[in-house]
Amino acid sequence: MSDAISFDVYEVFVQLEPMSAHQHQFNVLASSPEMALELGYENFCRRTGAVSLWVVKRDAIHKWTQDNFSGKERLAKTYRTTEDYKYLKDKWRHYRENPMTQEGPRNGRTAD
Amino acid sequence: MEPTDSLQYQQFMERINRGDRIEAEDWMPDDYRQQLIRLISMHGISEIMGALPEKEWVPKAPTLFRKLAIMAKVQDEMGHGQLLIRVAEDLMAPLGKNREDLMEDLFTGRLKFHNVFHMATPTWADAGVIGWLVDGAAIITQGMSLSCSYGPYARALARIVEEEGFHIQHGESICMELAEGTPVQRQMLQESLERWWPALLMFFGPPEGNQLSTHQQKNLDYKIRSKTNEELRQKFLTKYVPRIRSLGLVIPDPTLSQDPVTKVWQYAQPDWTLFRQIVNNQGPRSQARLGLRQMSYQEGQWVRRVLAMTTPAAV
Repeated sequence: MSDAISFDVYEVFVQLEPMSAHQHQFNVLASSPEMALELGYENFCRRTGAVSLWVVKRDAIHKWTQDNFSGKERLAKTYRTTEDYKYLKDKWRHYRENPMTQEGPRNGRTAD
Repeated sequence: MEPTDSLQYQQFMERINRGDRIEAEDWMPDDYRQQLIRLISMHGISEIMGALPEKEWVPKAPTLFRKLAIMAKVQDEMGHGQLLIRVAEDLMAPLGKNREDLMEDLFTGRLKFHNVFHMATPTWADAGVIGWLVDGAAIITQGMSLSCSYGPYARALARIVEEEGFHIQHGESICMELAEGTPVQRQMLQESLERWWPALLMFFGPPEGNQLSTHQQKNLDYKIRSKTNEELRQKFLTKYVPRIRSLGLVIPDPTLSQDPVTKVWQYAQPDWTLFRQIVNNQGPRSQARLGLRQMSYQEGQWVRRVLAMTTPAAV
């Protein structure tokens, strides 16, 4: 048997609160998932505690990095967000103070 | 080594100059990788060797509270070592090296550890001074390195610096208690400061004068570091000299003074020949601590072998 000892790298993820997401912490070198969990707990949860701890063998992670994102830069997509609908707040205030009749707005439409 | 006019190199430097963080699998010039391995393996192994002087005080801590606190600190330092050695290992992987090579390099003297961890800790005040001033010095260097261009190192440091905040207060609390104590306790603290002062000045490395070493120039160009040894030492003096004096302690350097206009500190240079001897494992406790580290590494070898034979559970 060779003297070289080969362990695996595991990436460690910790969930601190039931409603929080698992957050990547760092990585550990371990001979098994069990050892990775022990090391992960000792290294990253000994002050904070945790509600859940994941270890994932690094080579099981498939990833994209900076290069993969070139050509995928985000356009300004205000229609995906509430950005385009900010005017609604003023409209609601206006109609709270000047309710429409059954025929519609009293003095025509409010200015957009 | 890649020619510096290659497209790859130029693109890399553009990333560095615009403040990108470089990741382990990104392309990087050989000398960037080498500089990082040199710096991070030294830092990582210093965390582990740095736990040893304090560990000596675990069985002798004066109260249960102090014993628990110093044990927690020793555990933190070993944890910092684990984080940093992982960072170094990922950098060394393409060269076919791992942490066993690092340990071998430590034992043969090729890999150095910080000068301060070669020193003796004969009294409880030394445990306090290490936390207060040695960790205080370390956090000045590490605070600078948070902006390091290598992402994994900067992220490891963010965790480490957070914990060092606890270490410093642990040390301050021990020193404060001694300073407020009996004349014998005050004397113990004063003597400890005298023992550690030259080592604290040495901690940042020799002053550059007007000449930066090749290593340092590279580290600055690659944004691995952003300040010189002397800039860091000046920062340390500005922060700690007034605090040390506020406890009525006397810094063992009658020439120490700060220029009121330039704010630059003048100080007696420590013996830099002695510094080189110390970091070459000729310090007061170098051989004893290396011996302990080597013994525990050898005695743990069978455990690592058994662990390596463990069949990974189904995941």
